[in-house]
Amino acid sequence: MIKNSNIYSIVLAVFGGLILTACGAGDNDPGLEYAPNMYHSVPYEPLKQVVDKDKGEWAEFLDSNEDGYGEYYNSNPLNQEGMDGSGMTMRTPPENSVRRDKYLPYRIPKDSLTLAASVENPLPDTPEVLAQGKELYERFCDHCHGGAGQGADPGSVGEVLAGVPSYTSAAVKGVSGGHIFHVITHGKGRMGAHGSQISVEDRWRIVRYVQTLQQN
Amino acid sequence: MTPKKQLTRVSFFFLLLAAFSFSQISYAQTESAEADTTASAPEETASASASDGEIPTGDANIGAGEELFKGNCAACHKIDQKLVGPALAGVQDRAPSIDWIVSFVQNSQKVIATGDEYAVNLYNEYNQTQMTAFPQFTRDDVLNILGYIKQQAEAAPAETAAVAGAEGADGAVASEPAISSAYLNAIMIGLIIVLALILVVLILITTVLRRYLLQKETVGDEDREIIEQSVSLSKVFKSPTFIFLATFIFAAVAFKVVINELFAVGVQIDYTPTQPIAFSHKLHAGQYEIDCQYCHTGVRKSKNANIPSPNICMNCHSAILTESAEIQKIYAAVEQNRPIEWVRVHNLPDLAYFNHSQHVNVGNIECQTCHGEIQEMEVVGQAKLLTMGWCIDCHRNTDVNTKGNEYYDKLVELHSEVSEDGMKVEDIGGLECSKCHY
Repeated sequence: MIKNSNIYSIVLAVFGGLILTACGAGDNDPGLEYAPNMYHSVPYEPLKQVVDKDKGEWAEFLDSNEDGYGEYYNSNPLNQEGMDGSGMTMRTPPENSVRRDKYLPYRIPKDSLTLAASVENPLPDTPEVLAQGKELYERFCDHCHGGAGQGADPGSVGEVLAGVPSYTSAAVKGVSGGHIFHVITHGKGRMGAHGSQISVEDRWRIVRYVQTLQQN
Repeated sequence: MTPKKQLTRVSFFFLLLAAFSFSQISYAQTESAEADTTASAPEETASASASDGEIPTGDANIGAGEELFKGNCAACHKIDQKLVGPALAGVQDRAPSIDWIVSFVQNSQKVIATGDEYAVNLYNEYNQTQMTAFPQFTRDDVLNILGYIKQQAEAAPAETAAVAGAEGADGAVASEPAISSAYLNAIMIGLIIVLALILVVLILITTVLRRYLLQKETVGDEDREIIEQSVSLSKVFKSPTFIFLATFIFAAVAFKVVINELFAVGVQIDYTPTQPIAFSHKLHAGQYEIDCQYCHTGVRKSKNANIPSPNICMNCHSAILTESAEIQKIYAAVEQNRPIEWVRVHNLPDLAYFNHSQHVNVGNIECQTCHGEIQEMEVVGQAKLLTMGWCIDCHRNTDVNTKGNEYYDKLVELHSEVSEDGMKVEDIGGLECSKCHY
């Protein structure tokens, strides 16, 4: 015959085990956090803001910071929805801000392709630049333009997007470096603008490499 | 050997056999599925009628036309299907004249500017997409292309039939796995029934044998004792060995569970949150092989890898899958100028510093090293532990990527004086507390 106290201890152990199984993470549950305010930063973090003012209120159960917000709330209260920036913690820089870079901003508007075509590539045509250009081409271009610049490879994104010309096609075979740079920056036809993803210098590197593909 | 022991051994053997046969069966089925996929190659029937007068039908002309078409037109035009521009089959009958086609190809904007009704309608029908001008194409070039288009258009019906056939075969292959899993279940249940039957039969045999032996007079007392021996459950439960074993196993399991769960505190492995948009890395990074850094542009130059802003999505999705409900969410975000609130998956606590560019740009570490096989994840979850022990383990075992980086030249030189092994991250201070905690 098992004693009552034994039953209690077994129940307690099973129950304790069940509580502990809630510590691990899974699907939508990040699991139990040790020192939660190390995971939910008080300062603003890039790409993250908590707009729910009550979020993490429970974490102030023993030690309230008395700011009237939950422990995890870290949005910029001076940048509310409806004001410039639409409630984002980060604000867009003022107009005409110039990025600190060795290149001045590229200001030729999208429709001035003829003007852009006359811009010279500031980078020399060296094997080093070409190698860097190739690496960048493989990162940013080849899933649409194909590994050899002959238009979309079978089964690639370019094939789904459609309308990707070969660099050797009569229409684009002769275009200048400045033209290529302008098209990367602003896009053309179905191609999107890649100016926000690729720095000015990297774009000129890609131009050097694409020009070798034009000659194939 | 007692009948009981024998029984457990027999059933164990059967279980093993069952497990083995399952794997054999599934192999066999994938093999047969592969064999089914052989589709017949499309047959080309090329017979061009010379009714359109000018359009050439000679093999040389069609060959030249094919080369021009594939090099210049195929990006936007298909023969029998609308792509960026209209399907070109029968264009020689649709368009106002052959001369019109030639001038449109050479410079479509010029034709549209003249106010030509057919050209203006066409331009508006295709959302005012400008067709690239080909002023270098001569009239003969365009005629050769038309010859190729005509020949392809006439050969098309046979091809589409062949393609449909191939698709049918594909469909059959796709439904194969569902059947096989049903089979597996059936086989499993069947085997369990067979095993149960064997158990019943064995029990019956032992009872019959026991009865027979008991009725026999020649059996000695010692043997009789063995035969009459019956297992009493209550006796077993009360035996000290059983109580000790049960307590020990229970305590060990409980201890293990407690330790495991305590170690899981603050470790978010397997955290797979539902995202506001059902973005699939399996499709984008896996099937279409888009480089991770195409979207995560910050990974080489910043602490953060960066979550792409909707304008990067728009590079493709301004044209691809524009009707999908998930893509519509991106359009809405762009229109309302509001960020998409993705749920953060990998969240290091603030007490640890981690820098992406250090690892990806300098260290040349693959994304998968820390994020798991992202290109196979439909929904991204945390695949690795991201604990301190896990970091340190890698710092102890990974050689520093010193190739072509003169910053390390002196360090490598000094290291090779004291050690013959490669220079690990720990050798240049990769285990110092203040490298990550400050």
